Amino acid sequence: MSALTLFLTRRVDRVILYEHAHISHVKVDLQTKVATRQRILTVAARLFARVGWERATTRSIATSAGIAAGTLFNYFPSKEAIAVALISDVLAKAKEEFEERRRGGESLEEDLFSYIWTGLRYLQSSKTFLGCALETLLSPLARSSPDHPGELIRTEHLETVERLISCHHRVRQPLSALTLQLYWTLYFGVLAYWATDVSPKQEDTMALLDQSLKLFVASLGEEASPLTEASSLREKTNESQG
Amino acid sequence: MNPKVSDFISALSDWENVPDTDRQARENLKELLAGLSRRPVPVGSLHRLWSVGELSTQIALAYFALWIRQWFRSAETGDRAVMETNLRVALKICQQLGYLRGALMKVGQTLGNFPDIVPSEFVDTLDRLHFDAPPMHFSLLRELLRSELGAGPEELFESFETKAFAAASLGQVHLARLQSGETVAVKIQYPGIARTIDADVRNLRALLFPLRLGKDWEYVRRQVEEVHRMLQLETDYEHEAETLRRARGLFNSGEGIVVPEVHEKYSTKRVLTMEYIPGLLLDNFLATNPSQELRNQFGAKMYLASLRMYYAGMNYADPHSGNYLFMGDDRLGLIDFGCVQRYGDEEAELIRLAEESASGRPEVLRELFRRSANLDDVDFKNQEYVELLTQSHKWTCEPIQHEGPFDFGNVEHLQCGIQLVIGLVRKRYTRSHPMYVYFNRSVFGLRALLYRLRAHVDVKTLHRQEARVPSGPSLNG
Repeated sequence: MSALTLFLTRRVDRVILYEHAHISHVKVDLQTKVATRQRILTVAARLFARVGWERATTRSIATSAGIAAGTLFNYFPSKEAIAVALISDVLAKAKEEFEERRRGGESLEEDLFSYIWTGLRYLQSSKTFLGCALETLLSPLARSSPDHPGELIRTEHLETVERLISCHHRVRQPLSALTLQLYWTLYFGVLAYWATDVSPKQEDTMALLDQSLKLFVASLGEEASPLTEASSLREKTNESQG
Repeated sequence: MNPKVSDFISALSDWENVPDTDRQARENLKELLAGLSRRPVPVGSLHRLWSVGELSTQIALAYFALWIRQWFRSAETGDRAVMETNLRVALKICQQLGYLRGALMKVGQTLGNFPDIVPSEFVDTLDRLHFDAPPMHFSLLRELLRSELGAGPEELFESFETKAFAAASLGQVHLARLQSGETVAVKIQYPGIARTIDADVRNLRALLFPLRLGKDWEYVRRQVEEVHRMLQLETDYEHEAETLRRARGLFNSGEGIVVPEVHEKYSTKRVLTMEYIPGLLLDNFLATNPSQELRNQFGAKMYLASLRMYYAGMNYADPHSGNYLFMGDDRLGLIDFGCVQRYGDEEAELIRLAEESASGRPEVLRELFRRSANLDDVDFKNQEYVELLTQSHKWTCEPIQHEGPFDFGNVEHLQCGIQLVIGLVRKRYTRSHPMYVYFNRSVFGLRALLYRLRAHVDVKTLHRQEARVPSGPSLNG
């Protein structure tokens, strides 16, 4: 396990999964809990889209979902946490599609492109509120802390990226914080651009993502060297067997 | 090894005659231009964008700079200093741009800024004057096709080659097989390129801003507008599909000229799916050491294709070697119709005049110059100007008036044309109707290719067979 993985794992351990922590004492059956959670998310997504990120409040979400504000806090401690849950759910589905579509033989650049673009495609319906919430949730300038609502998304995303890099490159040393920061800054830049991109079929974002990833992969040069085709295949086999 | 820009500049005799006050500016400019090739570029694809066609870019830039200087030649020293500053800033901005360099190359051609180097180098350079989009990997293509056609290549096609088999000027071409079993070529445009070019042309206008007070500014402005209009059309594959359909209807099967069929269901503004035409590119064809007879046959087909389209109101305005395929059964494939200029009534009238002027009647020639180059009574008193235009006209008509097959492999013919253009540019006789931007390019492009093919073509007979006044669709059509 690389130092980065250890680092991220520790952070994940420390991430408070709010919904679990807060609802443990609520004596409702699991099925009801899941249904209520889903209702909150559906209502919140609708409200974010209709009245905007700024004007949607936890109170208005609770009212629309037909529950008390206090009950909502048993599930989500803040509006940001609701947004994170919405985004995480969507990104999980996108990741499934990405994994299914991998043919083997893709370059790192291709894999990263597919992973991110599939995510953007799935996030399309959340685009309006995500644009506003982006700065709060994912900004690379935000102080990183396990309590930060966007930390879960960031951690999961970076873990996948690290796994993809290790599929293609022999990592000579743990990826530096600088490399991770560079990646996250580029990713955030693409997200921020995408959120307000009015070009037809978002072709400008597509070009920006392509260029950003070329830059990132080129920057890996000193930290990681590409695996040969045979060793790459071996790594992938090990990965799937593992 | 590629010659340096400074070598080209030094080779220009005009640079030897500049007054001493200009020498420092000249040195600065040389340094700046030479610096273009040393600039590091961090990204792989950008590097490709930068390095391919580097020589032609530098040549175009060098001539562009020279051309701008000519405008200020008679100005006061103070004005010249301002101009030098503007030029330095302009060229620095140019280094920061991507596709503008491509646009600039085309403007370079517009103004006839051809390097007076040996013809083979000239031909190679001309051949490379086109845009070069970054390469696209399969994941990007898949998403592009999904957003353009609503499904990925796996769903759309029976099979789809993940590696491009050819580079298109604005993207790349992939082989695929339709569910019906037909092999097709799928041309896919790099995302966002159309608007990038738009932005670059806007910047080009800004670069040309210092010229606005010059007496010929209006002609420059109209020429740049024409380049912009054509570049916009080049990025619109729906327009190209329409041109392909029209061109396809112009040739019958016995003529040995093939224009691919468009598959509309798989085509959009950014994706063009066409029948696949197997064949060799010019270099590969020449490597087979073809007989003179075969060269002549292909040369005649190339000329006929251009002529037929010309008289149908469509100028095949980008005749470079990547657009022709030499097929095994001696047929000629035409595969790129992005840069086809359509003529309207005004252009048709100019062509009618040009046809008539081939007779050599002085009053017709005078009328042609008046309308094509906007010569007024004062200009007509300038013997040198009129003589240069007359010689250029004569050069253009030479193969048409020649009895029997014309030898396009004759170096002197091509060199003469280049020298005439350079002569006109040096004297700043660059006024012309905007249609000549691409008309000149098609004439030089085709003759450069026929030179490489060393073809002998009976142009006079072809013209006699084909000649009619074009009645093409409107320019905006």
